[in-house]
Amino acid sequence: MNAIIFSALSGVAMMFTGIFTTNKSAIRNVAVIALLGLIIVNLLHSYGIFVVRVNTHSMLQFETFGLFFNTLVFAATLLFVLLSGKDVTNAGTYGAEYFALIFFVLCGVSILTCYNSLLMLFIGIEILSIPLYILTGADKRNLKSNEASLKYFLMGSFSTGILLMGITLVYGITGTFSIEAMRPAVSVGAPNYGILEPVGLLFIFIALLFKVSAAPFHFWTPDVYDGAPTVFTSFMATIVKAAGFVSFIRLFDARAIEMGISWKIILPVIIIATLLIGNITAVFQQSVKRMMAYSSIAQAGFMLFAVYVNNDMSKEGILLYTAAYSIATIGIFAILTRMKDITFDGFNGLAKKHPVLAATNAVFLLSLAGIPLTAGFFAKYYMLAAVVKENGAGALWLVIVAVLFAAVSVYYYFRVIQAMYFKEGEPEITEVSGGFKTALVMLAVLIVLIGTFPSALLNWFYF
Amino acid sequence: MIPLLLILIPLLGGLINFFLKEEKTAKGWALLISLATLAASLAGIAQSGTLSFDAAWLPTLGSSFALSADGMAKMLTLLTAVSFPVIFIATNKNNYKNTSAFYALMLLSQAGLMGVFLSADCLLFYFFWELALIPVYFLCSIWGGERRIAVTFKFFIYTFIGSLLMLGGILYLYFLTPDHSFALKSFYHLHISAKEQNFVFWLFFIAFAIKMPVFPFHTWQPDAYEQSPTAVTMVLSAVMVKMGIYAVVRWLIPIFPEATAHFDNLVMVLAIIGMIYASLIAIRQDDLKRLIAYSSIAHIGLMCAAIFAQNKVGLEGVMIQMFNHGVNVLGLWIVADAIEQQLGTRKFSELGGLAQKAPGLAILLVILAFANIALPLTNAFVGEFLMFNAVFQHNIWMAVFAGTSIILAAVYTLNMVQKVFYGNTVPSTEHAIEAGSNTRAMLIVLVIVIIVLGVYPKPMIDLTNDTVSTILAAR
Amino acid sequence: MNWIPQLLEIAPAANTADNYLPIAIQLIFAAGFVAFMIAFSAWAGPKRKTSDKLENFTSGIASHGDARQPMAIKYFLVAILFVLFDVEVIFFYPYAINFKELGWEGFFAVLMFVAFFLIGFIYIIKKGALNWED
Repeated sequence: MNAIIFSALSGVAMMFTGIFTTNKSAIRNVAVIALLGLIIVNLLHSYGIFVVRVNTHSMLQFETFGLFFNTLVFAATLLFVLLSGKDVTNAGTYGAEYFALIFFVLCGVSILTCYNSLLMLFIGIEILSIPLYILTGADKRNLKSNEASLKYFLMGSFSTGILLMGITLVYGITGTFSIEAMRPAVSVGAPNYGILEPVGLLFIFIALLFKVSAAPFHFWTPDVYDGAPTVFTSFMATIVKAAGFVSFIRLFDARAIEMGISWKIILPVIIIATLLIGNITAVFQQSVKRMMAYSSIAQAGFMLFAVYVNNDMSKEGILLYTAAYSIATIGIFAILTRMKDITFDGFNGLAKKHPVLAATNAVFLLSLAGIPLTAGFFAKYYMLAAVVKENGAGALWLVIVAVLFAAVSVYYYFRVIQAMYFKEGEPEITEVSGGFKTALVMLAVLIVLIGTFPSALLNWFYF
Repeated sequence: MIPLLLILIPLLGGLINFFLKEEKTAKGWALLISLATLAASLAGIAQSGTLSFDAAWLPTLGSSFALSADGMAKMLTLLTAVSFPVIFIATNKNNYKNTSAFYALMLLSQAGLMGVFLSADCLLFYFFWELALIPVYFLCSIWGGERRIAVTFKFFIYTFIGSLLMLGGILYLYFLTPDHSFALKSFYHLHISAKEQNFVFWLFFIAFAIKMPVFPFHTWQPDAYEQSPTAVTMVLSAVMVKMGIYAVVRWLIPIFPEATAHFDNLVMVLAIIGMIYASLIAIRQDDLKRLIAYSSIAHIGLMCAAIFAQNKVGLEGVMIQMFNHGVNVLGLWIVADAIEQQLGTRKFSELGGLAQKAPGLAILLVILAFANIALPLTNAFVGEFLMFNAVFQHNIWMAVFAGTSIILAAVYTLNMVQKVFYGNTVPSTEHAIEAGSNTRAMLIVLVIVIIVLGVYPKPMIDLTNDTVSTILAAR
Repeated sequence: MNWIPQLLEIAPAANTADNYLPIAIQLIFAAGFVAFMIAFSAWAGPKRKTSDKLENFTSGIASHGDARQPMAIKYFLVAILFVLFDVEVIFFYPYAINFKELGWEGFFAVLMFVAFFLIGFIYIIKKGALNWED
């Protein structure tokens, strides 16, 4: 609760910072301080210390998993701001307002990690989405940015409509918004709600699948990620997407049984479709930014495993995946913002001119590809292990399909490495500061550390 | 402690090597580190029994940083430890752009290889299995030949697909273990139903078969060998292919005894087809490097067949031959590199009469060639004899077909010797001179090893005896 | 004719389908009245059919130019802000009805709500959204 309040207030504070000062570095500093405060407040909450006590009338329910996820997301945002803060303020005319919007997104995230009522799910998703529509269109004079924003807005509101429709059906038939009360174990006598409830849930799932850009609801992703200013793409592709998964898991925790066998068939189909479309289309891209957009779809396919099996291992897995995927993607996009030419050829010869950038970028890409010793390996490992643990031999085929697609993903990630290290060229790049490089190296070290000792990160989860 | 040192010395040494600016220092440092590793490896051999090291790594996952060096592991670490200084000295004159990075990556790949041979924990094994690949990928792609990027990438994707399939298999076995542990021991004690074995067997075998490589998974190999810088090719063929053989002996046979018994004929037939096929292609080659590459496929095929014969003679033969093949092929590559560095060509059509110009090199090559054909008194004779014996015990017809590869080996090897060293000199070899003293010194060392082990192979058999009996007992 | 007393009844006892009968009747009356008036005026009014009546501008001057005039973007901004702040008032209706029941807690909640709107208001003034001249 404290995270929700504090992030909203930080957002408001950021709005007014923009009025009182136009000094960009001051704005960034305020944002960093607010984020630090946000992390501290959330950590205090996880240890049972409340700054403000609010009776949520069990609309929200706080669990370690959600709180830890909050911390993770806030920390990732902090890294994001430290690394790309400059690009945020330079993305358009309103530097401070972009930070304000980012804080509102975080507010949405912290609602989504602890909602216990479908109403809060809806509110969380809306608070999360609306700032994103604006951030996507931040580059006002750029036609592509405008198009992306409008497309995202139209598609997003449509999916919200479907979400509402689903909530309405579920409410209509069960008479309650609380997902806790809907739990079959809790509801007395486990009433049979008939066909309408699964249909309602299906609508809700479709809306959530849209938010996490799973196939076949992924069509907005490449255009929006490509059109949005690169910094905000980075934010959208990592933090926001992960939040979508957590909301998914929360709902699934309570309601999966209701969907029954059919869901166990639908979800693998969606996972494989997502992996297929994401990976295969990414192979054919010429722009690294667009490749990353498709690769984020492919990574979503892997993250969907956490929804599919939903056991302890997969929950740890989604946390690890969020951390690994966010750090690597934030790093890659930060480097991408410095490149003048964002096609694969633009990276030619980067290793010679900027060895630090190339080396860190290589670490990020290796992590996304899931090579051991990087965080990405354990992220994938946990997902696959969760599947095998839950379903044994029956799910081994799914694991094999997934690893084959992981091998495909190596193809496009390594294209960037090939361009950087093995090809000659004169990469054009805007000025990079020493601090930027240090931050990149820190991220790379973090990835290797998590990749070597994933339990260090996960031990937090068990406090 | 020694197993840990074997990994740590090249790992840290390699990381430090990245920061050495001077070309000379980088080369010297790399040699120093590789010699230190060799010393550690010899110290390990001097101690009897299985050396092990265990440290907590991922307790929640049931995986630990467990290393163990039994006979086979000691033998292979010795091979690794010997190969690197030999490579460094023999190719000392070669110049690479960005020397420090080259040697650093070489040392890192050594660390990875050591890890593969020493791990006694399946997750750790998987880690090193992949990590050994990454430095080699960069080495080949940066310093390789013209078509290096595409070829190396093919190599990488092949092995990566294999290892990912293996990861699926590892996970499956992991959840079968009662205490959810990745330890080698837990895996050995698994009771897997025949049906499961027959399935999971392939997940592992494909990974290993790609690495060895066994027909039909071999297509990456000749290209990769040809396009890599020769120093890396030496690592690839002398040591890295042993990863596949090693893994089959260590992980596949003991864990899936029933599946092994079920599929043995299939695998052996594949291996023997590969042997004959590779030998036939080797005869038609015009490129020195490609010839050695195909010859290597043929030899590995025999080892694979001998393992799946599943008898004591075969395993003993494989153990000896793993080391011997490494030594022999290393020698051949050194000769190939010496010729290429001096004359700038590897084509038989552009070579000839080198024996007049470089008699020392010629004598050494002839001995290496004899070892490659496995003539008596060379080291390979003992190993190949045992292995053929094993195949013969298993199935006479297979032995007959496999036997033809000996004749074919003689054909292509002697053909190569004749074309390169004898006959009249051609324009490109008019001004050839004797190979450098470093190169010759290393070749002499290898030739001494060849002859000593050819005459007196007992120490090698004794060293690996414990592994052979463990494997046969686990069956 | 026992539905007439029902029509006059103001507060229904319980929400049943019967209670919606007066509303339904009212709806029918409203729709019927509109339909009747349109039909009646069409029937009773005088009709002179000429081709001129089908022209766009019948005031005698030939039409030229575009009817769409560019308008200052500020109108839209002010309009959207008006809608935004106008919606705020809607929330006071339910509050007014439940004023007593919600007590102090509700009062503070609404106060917070108003405060947020006030902050927003200050923000738009400071940002200069309401400056007509610039």
